[in-house]
Formats: sequence, structure tokens, C-alpha cells
Amino acid sequence: MKQERISIKGWIGICSLILALLIPFLVRINTYILTVLIIMFVFIIYASAWNLLTVSGQGSLGHAAFFGIGGYVSAIVANSLGLPLGATILLGGLFAAVIGLFIGFTCIRLREWFLAMVTFGFAVIAHTITAELSWITGGWDGIPAKKLISVTIPNYLLYEYYVMLVLTVAVLSIFYLILKSKMGLALEAIRENELEAKVMGINVAKYKLTAFAISAYFTGVAGALQIHHFGYITPEIYGVDISFWPIIYCISGGLFTIEGPILGTIFITFLDASLKSFGFTYERLILIGLILILEVIFLPRGLVSLPAKIKSWLKVS
Amino acid sequence: MRYTTLVSVLVIASLLLAGCVEHPEEPEVGSGELKIGVVASLTGSASATGTDMWQSAVLAAEEINAKGGVVVNGVPMTITLVQGDDESSPKAGVEAVTKLITEDKVDLLVGGFSSGVTSADSVVAAEHKVPFIITGASSPVLTHRTDIDTSYFFHHCPTTDDYGERTTIFVNEIIKPEIYARFNFPEDRPLRMALLYQDSAYGIGVHDATTKTIETYNLNIEIVAAEKFKMGETDYRTPLTVIKATEPDVIYPVAFLNEQTLIVTQGRKDVGLDSIYLSVECNDDPDYYTGVERWGEYSIQESRFGPYAIPAGPIESAVETFRDDFTARWGAPPSMMGASTYEGVYIAAEAVKNAGTVDKAAVRDALAEIEMSQMVEAMQGGVITFTQDYRESKFDLYMQQLFWDDSVGETRPKIVWPNSVKETDFVLPDWYEPGST
Amino acid sequence: MDISLFAQILVWGLYAGCIYILLAIGLNLIFGVMKVVNFAHGELLMLGAYAAFWLYAYSRLNPYLVLPLAMLLIALLGLSMERLGFRPIMGTGKLNEIFLSLGFMYLFQNLVAYLWSTNSRSVRSPYSSISIPLGAIKLPLDYLIIIIITVVFLIAFQLFMKQTNLGRAMRATSQNREAAALMGVNVERMDMLSFALGSALAASAGGLWLISGQLVDPYVGAIPAIKAFAVIIIGGLGSIPGAIIAGLTLGIAENLVPLLMRFFMELFGISMSFTAWKDTIAFFILIIVLVLRPTGIFGEQGE
Repeated sequence: MKQERISIKGWIGICSLILALLIPFLVRINTYILTVLIIMFVFIIYASAWNLLTVSGQGSLGHAAFFGIGGYVSAIVANSLGLPLGATILLGGLFAAVIGLFIGFTCIRLREWFLAMVTFGFAVIAHTITAELSWITGGWDGIPAKKLISVTIPNYLLYEYYVMLVLTVAVLSIFYLILKSKMGLALEAIRENELEAKVMGINVAKYKLTAFAISAYFTGVAGALQIHHFGYITPEIYGVDISFWPIIYCISGGLFTIEGPILGTIFITFLDASLKSFGFTYERLILIGLILILEVIFLPRGLVSLPAKIKSWLKVS
Repeated sequence: MRYTTLVSVLVIASLLLAGCVEHPEEPEVGSGELKIGVVASLTGSASATGTDMWQSAVLAAEEINAKGGVVVNGVPMTITLVQGDDESSPKAGVEAVTKLITEDKVDLLVGGFSSGVTSADSVVAAEHKVPFIITGASSPVLTHRTDIDTSYFFHHCPTTDDYGERTTIFVNEIIKPEIYARFNFPEDRPLRMALLYQDSAYGIGVHDATTKTIETYNLNIEIVAAEKFKMGETDYRTPLTVIKATEPDVIYPVAFLNEQTLIVTQGRKDVGLDSIYLSVECNDDPDYYTGVERWGEYSIQESRFGPYAIPAGPIESAVETFRDDFTARWGAPPSMMGASTYEGVYIAAEAVKNAGTVDKAAVRDALAEIEMSQMVEAMQGGVITFTQDYRESKFDLYMQQLFWDDSVGETRPKIVWPNSVKETDFVLPDWYEPGST
Repeated sequence: MDISLFAQILVWGLYAGCIYILLAIGLNLIFGVMKVVNFAHGELLMLGAYAAFWLYAYSRLNPYLVLPLAMLLIALLGLSMERLGFRPIMGTGKLNEIFLSLGFMYLFQNLVAYLWSTNSRSVRSPYSSISIPLGAIKLPLDYLIIIIITVVFLIAFQLFMKQTNLGRAMRATSQNREAAALMGVNVERMDMLSFALGSALAASAGGLWLISGQLVDPYVGAIPAIKAFAVIIIGGLGSIPGAIIAGLTLGIAENLVPLLMRFFMELFGISMSFTAWKDTIAFFILIIVLVLRPTGIFGEQGE
């Protein structure tokens, strides 16, 4: 039997993981950096979940709906039934998945940008209904959410960081397995050409719906994680900005790949934070907009494709 | 593929490096520097207000520093302001406040505009027990909530409870007798009031405060319509038409500047709802007078600080100086959120001086007991002090009426209530139409 | 329900519908010719309103007179968006086009906020105090002008598409791009023309909106644009009559349905305001239409 060799990509993954494990100590448990990294982990999960849906050729402009639903369900269940957060977060995801399945079902026959509109509209609808159900959701005042790890524990952020890291790695492994599996291939075939996929005997509807449910599930989990980190939830969670961030992250990093959303989230978070620390306001949003446009035109596969692109240029010249 | 990994390593390494480089040995507090973090929206939908808040804070800090800084136990400390952009979003707000507290190691926080954003980012301030003087967000929930320790929060701007209560009492005391005298209404006829409010913590807060005031004081006022609108709405013709059909005597829009301008113009111009329009204090802004044109004539505006009218009396010269200095420094006049943020920096300085230390618990105790004379906004009793229960300062809100001024081609406000600062009497216009008889 | 109340609300719906139609026709044109969906179309409305504002502020002319120049400026902008942005990515997939237009949207909003702040701007129409009595309703003159301009634009547009060689070439391109190219139509020029025309129509919507008493800030474009999308989806892609009917229907429905919902709830003794549900209702309508007819009411099967 041939020895299984670990690819360079694999090595990098392992190195990054070791680095991620060491970061808290390298930065001497710096609260700000840990907070930024924790929120970054949440958005890595969120962006990867959004990316999975995109792999199937379905681009959503309203993923904040699932993010918010996951957060609200988890917060409400934890507050009223007193279940442990581990259970409520999964429940939040589950609820988001059920809703996602429903939305996916209505969208199954729609073209790309019809779907974009419906998902966008759905975030608006979820926003209105959440604000209106004030006896459950606290309306516009919002409701407190339990902290993931009690603030009374010394260095609680450190524990939270590792919990988030473990969860992120677990979720990414699941996405990796999905993309490598028969399902991943099927989703790509559907994205490339739905008709051909159908002819090849792929059950298009089944795969598209499954992608929708899985994506909504992990988006809901990410939303729940975020609000249990913040300790409070208001309807602002359905904001257009929350729907747009994963798109920006995935495009800048690289669509349809496992490492793209990770790299994109890290890159944009870092860029945004450093420009902010220099006192830039709108300039940094303009820059992000420009990066987005330039990448779509010149680097449609994102930053992850940059090395290959440079290599091919070098070869040509 | 090797390059992919190279890039990821580079990015992660640079991230790490940034973390390490940005974090040299911080000088410990007590080095003659008082660090105040200003939480404001410098980008996003609320950035006009946020920029104003930041500029006012800068002006206050420069003034204090020019006069020798804050003298603590005989040692002068200069104020350094640190910017925290909440981007009008809870996510960025949490990051900004965390950075201010843990990276920049600020001694106090001042600012905070949107209630939705502030309720998320103030959790961080509560956790680290950093005094937070909230000068922009109007929801009383911020200091009333029980899920976190709010004892470090001090609310220095009127809350939605204050807005609704003052306006309703004014309607009952001044507008109602005028209407009833002109149209010979019997005293037992309830005054018909219509609410058109923003679907947000702000709008619903004022709506609830209004109904609560009517109940508490047992006023003979009936809410005949209560229509909600979505934040940023541009077309109010339909709700105004519906409101007109309910025959109100006065209409109380609870809206932001853009919305209020459109409600008044569309109501008078398109729908022909010739009534008295009230307004919440946050709309006393030059853009409002330009925007409403003649349609704003005779409408009522609640205020605590505005571009044109100045309440006569003790604070008159202070307001003029502040307005002139601000205009000289930044090229445009300040707004009411700027005024309270300006005072917020002074309150912070005073508290540190009184505490004699930057120790946060001591500063909090000093804030709880603070009693300083009012500055550029009239306070109840003439002093800035925070209530025992929910740490709210109490503003002396006044009411203005807008009159046409031919010399500027716009309306200008005159104070009509309360009597202590009144410039002129409330006028019920000729074209006014009451609700059903 | 009172009949005059009903009539009045119908008029408000009609006015709202005009703005949606001007936006939707432009979107439809671009979609028809290039099969591209420009999500930044609302930003062209916003920029058109700003162009009208600045031209008016500097010239102090009658605001209606600066409108053509504002339209021209935005047409040039649209042209450059097509040449520099959409042309290079043509044929790389629908998702890419969506993402590119999102990039433009993000860029324009923040660029305007950076350059001109987020303070809202207004323009004073010389006719703002004139109203025309129509039975029980007073119709402000500015709205009448808007309705007339919209109708004139629609007729001119229709004549252009049906009667001129250029218009026929454009229609040929939207029906079958390859065939049109084989017949000697310069399809790339058609792309540029459609983008310029569509942008000019969006700018006219923005300018008229501002003159009719609305305020403009960097974020006003998003909601009308989304409504315009809903309009062309409901009306069917590429269908001009569909867009007109859907635009008017949506304008009226989003104003009337909240009222009907309230009357309905009152039957159960629940008093509730639904006016804040305007956008929500628009999207409910959109979703229902799409579930029942995935190609829209007047849409043809397939693209």
C-alpha cells in the first residue's frame, strides 16, 4: 500500500493550526486581539457556510436572516428553558436550517438573481417579524443573551478563544468532507450546468435543498455563537451589512474553495482593523469596495488563486 | 499550491506581527495623561451625528488642556481622546469598545449613539467596569437593564421617557386651552392626538412614554391614531391620509431629521393635514429649517440645544461661546448630540478631579455624586447631577414654535415654553383645523 | 372604508409607481440586451439626484432644467461601468455579475458619504406651493409634472425601440445576441447604449424624486432599486408593459395592503399598525408571485 503523503497544503493547514493554538500566548492574552479573533472565527464559520451554498450556484444576499434566527432562537431558549448553551446553539442552527429548507424549497426553480432578491427580501421580512414579536424577542430593545463562558472565570476569553477555535476547526472539517464527497462534486456539477447535471442523473433539487439546509444550519450556529459572545441581541443582527460581510470575505479570499473564506475573512478583518487604527473612516470602506470590484474582474477566484496567477504570468514572460 | 500556503502563512504571520508590534509596553496610568475613549459612528448611517460628537469632544479636550488640563491632587493631567468608530453596527461597536478599553487603556468612555449598538457594546464596558458617560443614545433601557452591572453607566442626554413626557405636558398645558378657547370645545372633550412613530427603540420608547404620561397625570388626551413607519421611510402620504381620517387635533411624529422634514411637508402640502405638528428634540438642526420650507411654519419643536434659539438666562453666553468656538474650529455649528458630548468630556474631567485618581471605581463614585453647574444645555435645577436610581441627568427641555422669517427665507424658532425662558406666546395659526367637534 | 380615502391612497401609489417604473425600464433594458443584472442601479438613482442637486446649487436654475445634464452625466458613468466593469467579466457567470454590481454599490455609497457627508440634501422646486384640485383630492403640480415626464419618457422610449434602426438593433440583440451579431449589428455598441440609456433613466428618476420634495443622502438608492427589481421580476424580465403594470400595482399595493391588514385585524379586536410593513409586504408579494410563476406574470419561458 502506498504511503499517504501529506501535501504542502496539508502542512500549511497543520502549521496554521499550531499557530492558532499558540496565538493567545504570543499576544500575551491580549483581550482586544482575542476579541477580534473570536469574532473572526464566528465569521469564518459564517462565510464558509455562505460559500457552501454558493458552491451549488445559489448566491444568497440575505444570509443575515439565518444568522439572526440562530441567534434569537438560542438566546430565547437559553433564557426561558435554561438549557445549556451547547444545546441551544445547536437548536438555533436547527431552527435556521428548517427555515432555510423552506426558503430553499420556494427558490428551487429560480434563477440566480431571482434567488438573490428572494433571500434579500427574506432578511427584511425576518427583521420586521422579529421586531414585531416583542413579547418573545424584546422588540427593538433586544434581549440579553447568556455569555458563552461566564465572565467571572479569570481569563474567560482565553477559554472562549479555544472553544471557538475547536468549533471552527470542526465545522471546517465538515465542510471539507462535504466538498470532497460525492455531494461536493454534485454541487459543482449543478453550478457549472444545471441541465447537464440533471441529464447526468444528479438529483438537482435534493442537492440544492441539502446545501441550503446545511448552509443555513451553520449560519445559525455562527449567529448564536456571536450573540453568546456579545451577551446581547437586537434586531440590528439582520442588518444588510451582516448579509454583505460573508460575500466580501468569500470573494476576496476565493469562492468555492475551503481555504478561500478563511483567507478572505482574515485578510479583510486585518485590513479593516489596521486601517481603522490609523484613523481612516470612509477611506477604508472605499478601499474594500475597490478590492471587491478589482478581484471580481481580475482575480475571480480570489486571493487563493493569486500565486497560481503570478506563476502563470512569470511563465508567459 | 505551494504559493497558496505561502500566502496564508504570510497573512497569518503579519496578523501576529501586527498584534505584537501594536502592543509595546503601555505606560501605566498616572503618567499625567487622562485617556477618554469617544464611541461614535464615524461611518455608516449615523455618521453625520457621530462626526459631530467626535468634534465636540475634541473641542472640549482642547479647551481643558489649554487651561492646564485636569488637576488631580495638584498634578496636572492632559486629556487624550481616542476614537472608537462603531460604524453604526453592534459588531463594530463591540470591537471598538474592546479596543478602547483593553488596547488604548482609556480611563473613561464618552459617547454612544444608537441604542441598538450601545446595548451591545456597553456589555464590554460593564464587564471591565469602565465608567461610560452615554451622551447620544436615548433608550432608558441602557441604564435600567439588569442582566449586566450598569452601575458604571451615566446617561447624559434626555431619554425617550423625557421626550414624550415633556411634549405631552406642553400639549396639555398650552396647546389644548388655545384650541378649546377658539372652537368653544367643552372641557370634557378629550384632546385628539395622533402619533406617527419610527419602528425602533426610539419611536416605540416615545410612544410608550406618551401613553404613560397621559395615564400618570390622568390627562384628558386621547390617542386617536398610532401609525408606525420603517426607519428611513420616504413616503408618508398613506399613513398621514389615514391619520387625517381619524380627525386629530395635534400630530406627534417621532422621527429623525430626514423623516420629520418629509412628514411635515407631505402632511401639509400633499395630504392637507393642517394641524399642529410636534417634534422630538433631536431634530433642532439647521437642515430641518431648510428642508421644511414654509410648511414648517407654526410647528412645535422640543429642544435642549439648537442652532438658532438660545434660552435666555444663565447659560446664554456659554451657548454662544460654544457655538462660535465650535464653528471656528470645524466650520459648521454643533448639534445637540455634540453639545451633550462636549459636556460629557467636562463631566469626565470633573469626576476625575473630584476622585483625585483615575481608579475606575473611584471615578464611578465621583460621577454618582457629581454636582456641577450646567454648561451649554439647561438642566433641571441648574446643575448636572445623576439620579440615584438609574443615573440619568435631567434636562430642562423647552418648546419652540417655528415662525416665518422673511430676511432668511426660512422659518426660525422662538421659545414658547416653559415660562422661565419664554420668548413669545404660542400661536394657533389661522389655517389650523381641529379634529371632530 | 371611506371611498375618498381609498382614492387618495391610490394617487399616492401612482406617484410611487412612476419612480419604480423609470428605474425598472432602465434595468429591464440592460437586462434585455446584456443579460446583466445591475444591483447598483439604485446608486445610479442616488448619484442622479446628487448630480441634480449640485447642478442646481451652482446654477440656481429651475431644477427641471438641470435634469437633462444630470442624466447625461450619469449616462457617461453608466457607460464607464459597462466598459470597465461588466464588459471584462461577460460570460463568466451570473454570480460574478451580481458580485460586481454589489461592489459598485458599496463603492458608490461610501464614496458619496466620504465626499459629500451623509447629511441629506434638498432642492426647492419653484412650483412646490401649487396644487391642482381634483375632486376631493389636491394633486401637487410637481407630481403631475412627474407623471407627465414619466409618460413622455415611456412613449419616447417605445418609439425609439420600435421606429428607429438603433432601437430595432437593440431589440434584435436582446432577442438573440448571436443572430444579431451575424446580421451585422454591433452588439458591443448595443451594450454600451443600453447601459447609458438605463443609467440616464435611473438618473431621471433620482432627479425627479429630489425635485418632488424628497431628500437625498448616500443610502437612498437601495430601497427604490430593490422595489424596481421586484417590479421587473413580477412583471416579467424584458417585458415593458409588464414593468408598467407591475410598477403601478406594487406602488398601490404597498400603500393599500397595510390598511387592509389593519382592518382585518380589527375584526378580531386587535389594533395594530402595519404601515412599517411596506417593504415586507413588497417582498411577500414578490415571493408569492415567484412561487406561483417562477418567470413572473408577463415573463416568457426561458431567457
